[in-house]
Amino acid sequence: MAWNEPGGNRNDKDPWGNNGGGKNQGPPDLDEAIKQMMNKINALFGSGSGGQGGSGKGSSQGSGGVFALAFVLLAIFLVWKSVYTIDEQQRGIVLQLGEYSRTLEPGLRFVIPVVEKVIPVNVTSVREAELRQEMLTQDENVVEVELNVQYTVSDPIAFALRVEDPERSLRHAAESALRHEVGSTNLNPIMTDGRPLLAQNVRSRLQDYMDLYKTGINVSIVNVKEARAPAAVQAAFDDVQKANLDKERFVNEAEAYANTVVPEARGRAQRMLEEANAYKEQVIAQAQGEADRFKKLLVEYKKAPEVTRERLYLDALSKVYSSSSKVLVDMEGGNNIMYLPLDKIVSNTGSSAARPEEEQNVSDIADRVIEELRSRNTRTTVREGR
Amino acid sequence: MSKASMLSLVVVLLLLAVVSSSIYVIDERQVGIKLQFGEIVKTDIQPGWHFKWPLVQNVKKFDARILTLDSRPERFLTVGKKFVIVDSFVKWRIEDVRAYYKATAGNRWQATTLLSNSTNKGLRDEFAARSLTEVVSGERDQLMADITATLNEQTLPEFGIRVLDVRVKGIDLPEDLSKNVYRRMSTEREREARETRSQGMELAEGIRADADRQKTIIVAEAYRDAERIRGEGDATAASVYAEAFNRDREFYSFTRSLKAYTDTFQGKDDVLLLQPGSDFFRYMNSTQSK
Repeated sequence: MAWNEPGGNRNDKDPWGNNGGGKNQGPPDLDEAIKQMMNKINALFGSGSGGQGGSGKGSSQGSGGVFALAFVLLAIFLVWKSVYTIDEQQRGIVLQLGEYSRTLEPGLRFVIPVVEKVIPVNVTSVREAELRQEMLTQDENVVEVELNVQYTVSDPIAFALRVEDPERSLRHAAESALRHEVGSTNLNPIMTDGRPLLAQNVRSRLQDYMDLYKTGINVSIVNVKEARAPAAVQAAFDDVQKANLDKERFVNEAEAYANTVVPEARGRAQRMLEEANAYKEQVIAQAQGEADRFKKLLVEYKKAPEVTRERLYLDALSKVYSSSSKVLVDMEGGNNIMYLPLDKIVSNTGSSAARPEEEQNVSDIADRVIEELRSRNTRTTVREGR
Repeated sequence: MSKASMLSLVVVLLLLAVVSSSIYVIDERQVGIKLQFGEIVKTDIQPGWHFKWPLVQNVKKFDARILTLDSRPERFLTVGKKFVIVDSFVKWRIEDVRAYYKATAGNRWQATTLLSNSTNKGLRDEFAARSLTEVVSGERDQLMADITATLNEQTLPEFGIRVLDVRVKGIDLPEDLSKNVYRRMSTEREREARETRSQGMELAEGIRADADRQKTIIVAEAYRDAERIRGEGDATAASVYAEAFNRDREFYSFTRSLKAYTDTFQGKDDVLLLQPGSDFFRYMNSTQSK
């Protein structure tokens, strides 16, 4: 309340009750003061000179003293009522017998006692009002908006004199302005990035109302602190947020996949190319090596073809025979060799092959086989001979 | 002497009483009318101090400031047969003190009731001609201006009241309607959430497919290049071989065959059935050259 501002304690705070202002203030105070003084003085005289008993004389002397004292006290009272300290934050509205006469600036100020009355108004402190309401948007959704209005008193005369309860007017007007602006905006901008614009619109609209209602209030800042869906649908709105996060997650996961698959493929491609190159170099080198070897050999071969040829042949065959199992069949066109236990021979040689140091055994086995065959052969010849 | 002084005091007090009842003060925030035996003799008394005849004349003071009427929320019907609960307030002040005094006898409560009834009637009429959307949004300014104008036509001559502004603090839907709104909001959000998720999946699938495509192409191109390189190698090797082996084709066959033999028979598992008639066994059975 404007009349309850700090610093106004000496003043008559009630805007309503005391309609008469200075006029009514005077007589009761005076009466009371006189009565109090009379009581005090009577008590003083009663104790000091009561014993002497001259009641008539005493009272006449007493009444003279009473008046003097009363005037002195009245004078002190009036001086005290005529001095005002106006704080730096305040302006003092002076009503002279009810009529506005002037505005007091900060400092020590004087007024005519009883006749003039001062209403101090705080003009610098920033006042605040908070609103929190559910309301309809243009697209007929419901939104809960929390609003914070900061304002100062720019015109103390209007604030104090022109409108009943200016701060309540501000609350009402703020509610109306907010509803109006929310009602002409869709839900999405209010919930997302449209809040500054909303606040700005509410501010200018609210200021218009304040000017129209002559409140003398200057709306400095309007903040839309929060705009959220009503509790009943909060879960659905939260799910939208979650969906947005999910979307991001899906994309991130896919990108992670892409980021593994593509480099891996590139690596594989690199390997394929390297292997191909290696193959190429290998094949060429081998070819060149073999070709060169052949050419060198050919030169020597040309010099002594017969010998070289035979030597090469024997070398190769000895290598072949020495490293593989073999069965020498010294007979001509006989089919009976097919009954030889070849698998046994091979398994024997196989087991002996496990021990390379017994390689000479191969020739032993060969010898034995040959002998066996030979003896059989003689037997057959014997049989044939019969 | 004491009696004289007492008398003088009484006279002074009496005088004071007379003066105080003949001087009256109108506050800056007030407006007054002067009545003489109940009849209005002076209206529009401005702030300051004034005289009146004691006992004969009487002064009534009214609030001259801009006042607020904060009415209770009321149910109104709009064009779409939708009920809305409207919470409004009215800014008004006393303009014609004589009319105001006549209509209300200076009773603020009565004035408020009269004004509130008129306002509700005005609002009801205006709402009945508009759809909910119009009421909620764009047309509200026009709506209020209309109501204010209509109200003034009535209140100014009848009650001496000037209506400055009628404002709707709130328009709310009744519970059943607001439940519908909530349900619609929920489903809209659901739709949005689902769409968002699907879009996410769409994007993700696109990214994956693109990655797979890149992978396939990279590998295929690498295969192509690799085969080409291998082919180059094979070609070079072939030409090298051809150049060398063409020098003596027969000898090449010979040496190559020998190499093939040695390469082919390498393990003990290979079993050779041999006849001693071959060149290799030429000296097996005899020392003589054949």
